[in-house]
Amino acid sequence: MRYIPNTKEQKEEMLKEIGASSVEDLLKDIPASARVKGKLNLPSPLSEEEVKEKIYNISKKNLDFFFYKPLVGAGAYRHTVPEAVKAIISREEFYTSYTPYQPEISQGNLQSMFEYQTHISRLTGMDVVVPSIYDGASATAEAALMALRLTHKNKVIVSQLIHPHYRETLNTYVEPHDTKVVEIPYKNGLTDIEKLKDSIDNETAAVIIQSPNFFGGIEDIEKISKIAHESGAIMVQVIAESMSLGLLKQPAKMDVDIVAGEAQSFGMDINFGGPFNGYLCSKMKFIRQIPGRIAGETVDKNGNRGFVMTFRAREQDIRREKATSNICSNHALNIVAGNAYLSLVGKQGLKKIAEYNVKAAHYLRSKLLESGKFEQIDYPFFNEFILKTDNKDSLKEKLIKNNFIPPLDLSLFYPELEGFMLFCTTEIFSKDDIDSIAQIIGG
Amino acid sequence: MKLIYEKSVKGRGGFSLKEDNFPYKDISSLIPNYALSEEEKALPEVSEVDVIRHFTKLSKLNYGLDDGMYPLGSCTMKYNPKINEKLASLDNFVYAHPFTDQRYVQGSLQIMYELSEMLSEITGMDKFSLMPAAGAHGELTGVLIIRKFFKDKGEKRSKILIPDSAHGTNPASSAMAGFKVVEVPSNERGGIDIEKLNELMDEDTAGLMLTNPNTVGLFDENIEKIAEIVHSKGGLLYYDGANLNALLGIVRPGDTGFDVVHLNLHKTFSTPHGGGGPGAGAVGVKRELKEFLPSPIVGMSNGEYIFEYPTKSIGRVRAFYTNFPVIVKAYVWIMSLGSDGLREVAETSIINANYILKKLKRYYKPAYDRTCMHECVLTGREYKEFGVKTLDIAKRIMDYGFHPPTIYFPHFQPYAEETIMIEPTESESKETIDSFIETMIKISEEAKTNPELLKEAPHNTPVGRLDEVRAVRNPKLVFKGDNDK
Repeated sequence: MRYIPNTKEQKEEMLKEIGASSVEDLLKDIPASARVKGKLNLPSPLSEEEVKEKIYNISKKNLDFFFYKPLVGAGAYRHTVPEAVKAIISREEFYTSYTPYQPEISQGNLQSMFEYQTHISRLTGMDVVVPSIYDGASATAEAALMALRLTHKNKVIVSQLIHPHYRETLNTYVEPHDTKVVEIPYKNGLTDIEKLKDSIDNETAAVIIQSPNFFGGIEDIEKISKIAHESGAIMVQVIAESMSLGLLKQPAKMDVDIVAGEAQSFGMDINFGGPFNGYLCSKMKFIRQIPGRIAGETVDKNGNRGFVMTFRAREQDIRREKATSNICSNHALNIVAGNAYLSLVGKQGLKKIAEYNVKAAHYLRSKLLESGKFEQIDYPFFNEFILKTDNKDSLKEKLIKNNFIPPLDLSLFYPELEGFMLFCTTEIFSKDDIDSIAQIIGG
Repeated sequence: MKLIYEKSVKGRGGFSLKEDNFPYKDISSLIPNYALSEEEKALPEVSEVDVIRHFTKLSKLNYGLDDGMYPLGSCTMKYNPKINEKLASLDNFVYAHPFTDQRYVQGSLQIMYELSEMLSEITGMDKFSLMPAAGAHGELTGVLIIRKFFKDKGEKRSKILIPDSAHGTNPASSAMAGFKVVEVPSNERGGIDIEKLNELMDEDTAGLMLTNPNTVGLFDENIEKIAEIVHSKGGLLYYDGANLNALLGIVRPGDTGFDVVHLNLHKTFSTPHGGGGPGAGAVGVKRELKEFLPSPIVGMSNGEYIFEYPTKSIGRVRAFYTNFPVIVKAYVWIMSLGSDGLREVAETSIINANYILKKLKRYYKPAYDRTCMHECVLTGREYKEFGVKTLDIAKRIMDYGFHPPTIYFPHFQPYAEETIMIEPTESESKETIDSFIETMIKISEEAKTNPELLKEAPHNTPVGRLDEVRAVRNPKLVFKGDNDK
């Protein structure tokens, strides 16, 4: 076996040294009745060339997706992933290392965590950044649990315009804790604030709102924070499309207490939906209730700057059932990707890319409306918007035929929205692309 | 080393963008005032060259598996084959959007389906979900399945049993799933104390979470008895697959009475740890629990791969479906090894661990002096009298070019204190292992003759021992300085 260096002779020599006559001697604790009889029923082993051929062939059963630009985002956004990011995360020192429990030989990861925490802090204005929770959905669920612990209340208010998968995940996570989840309906593409006012009370632990919301709509977070705080609830902003932070206000400036975000747009490929990288931010006063690993600056014995994992007393390996979460492995390599991405695009780039996204989406929407074949709902949006068509099947078919992945059919998640499609455009679409899309489905 | 912010130069950038020829001059006409940021976010300003040099330099401060032996117990730091990485990065997988019609992602679904089937065969379970993103995420999923199973039967069971040798994630996951955790002590042979188990297991207990081989590296010889006790009270047996490497092709958890298992594909199945993830925590169940799996799972109908929606599902535990590239890597690894290869992995890992145990037990007293499985648990207790802690021993190991083993885990009295848990995996050669053993012996001598050398260690690393207390007392979690310094 090419991955096992020891030869048969070496193994025999080692067994002799151990004092065993064969490997069977080492398996004596395992009762015969518990053993596998014969061999596992698995395919015969393949050489490297064979396995390569096999997987290439299987991959051909997918479309050649590089050539199909997706008009669907809905929590998974195809942005440009610079090759420099891919080169960096392909370095063995990053991808084959373990969790940085031994900081003296893990400064690469730890400093990278610290830099990334700084990036996210500057984008959100928040003091504390947990750089990796598995994804935006589990980060949202963890934010809800955190708010329940902080307030000792048992009700959370959740906008229906939070990504449906995030809401489902939140429900799964809070279900064992006798939590009441109240969903607030939407109105004209945004969360219905009047309905929120009706639902909120002193028993409310958190108000959880996504912005940009699932329809791409930009919520008035400041206004909602005020309503939440008047009832003593914690304000949680969910951000599924973090590219929006290039342009939109820092959540901290809108009095948000906890941010649960998804950083996939920062240097991560779509990969059929994962692995992405969630993040969780809070004000400093909540740090002891936040879950997940955090890097902090300190000094070594010679007084030189160095980084360690810090506030470890929150974590499962120390606190066991009293930990703030069970999270152990996270999506650490994607912290490196996110750090490399945000460093590359930098101060000017992120803003320009975000602006491009906004303009591309607005341009597509105006072109489609010009065709007269779509019904509109007006609300402010980032890079996603919804329109209604009378002929969604032919729209989907035409787009696939012309190498575009169709927008999301919203009736999958909102049965009342039959005919509504959720469109997304990013910087991978040129103006010419959009003109031709308008031709294909509007012409 | 400087932070990326300390390398920032005003006006620099490392990105490229298509020409913006849309008919909008001012972004403020498109974004409402209440939401538009008044200032630019103060990210660094650096070129692509700066970024590549910065991260290359950072990477050299890290110790990776390709740099040398990484004997972290219970972490299974085995070699990550390069072909796995290549095949997981094929364009048709990488650019597949999760909301694409199933007809167009048959390749992705085939990999998911076939990996699930192979994992079922390897573990003796009936159906797998590939949704959980990590081991602990798999535990939470598995325990929620147990919870829902009882709820569905109209039973309310409030407790779950967990051995004192268990990973911290076990009690943490159980608490998250709403269970009260009850600890079961280990016996003098390192297994579950059967009498205690008998006392504790009752009809208010949902089951037992067990790692087998356990975290002291021992196969619990009473496994069948344990299963009988748990099942006799209507409970379910949960298998923490962190240590499955020792059992590949030898024992299938499903055949020894386990009802739910989670596997760490980033341990046993060779996918890289990524500095702490992403991995994947596949969860497998017996037939009667299939309908409780997270939704959706991949099935097959008329030769086509399809999503199926279990009827009593616990729901979702994340967005979308799986950590797809991790799935590809595990699939490629199993395909490359086959049945005989998997068994050879287990046997080799067991030989390697016992060889280390045999050679080192004179110098570091084992927690239990017995034949071990894929890892051995030694202790540094004897060096306390020289003022040397296990931590000091671990730090000194770095000076010799190895990653230290897991230390202070497992931790329970009276057997497992000052522990040094060594898992060589099948990937290390006899020469490397011999050199590691020599190093450990040398350090044991240094501990007696020159304890200061250990207490001051490490000496040859990019930074010296770091002040963790200061990091909490004076928290600096982000860089507060200005750019362009």
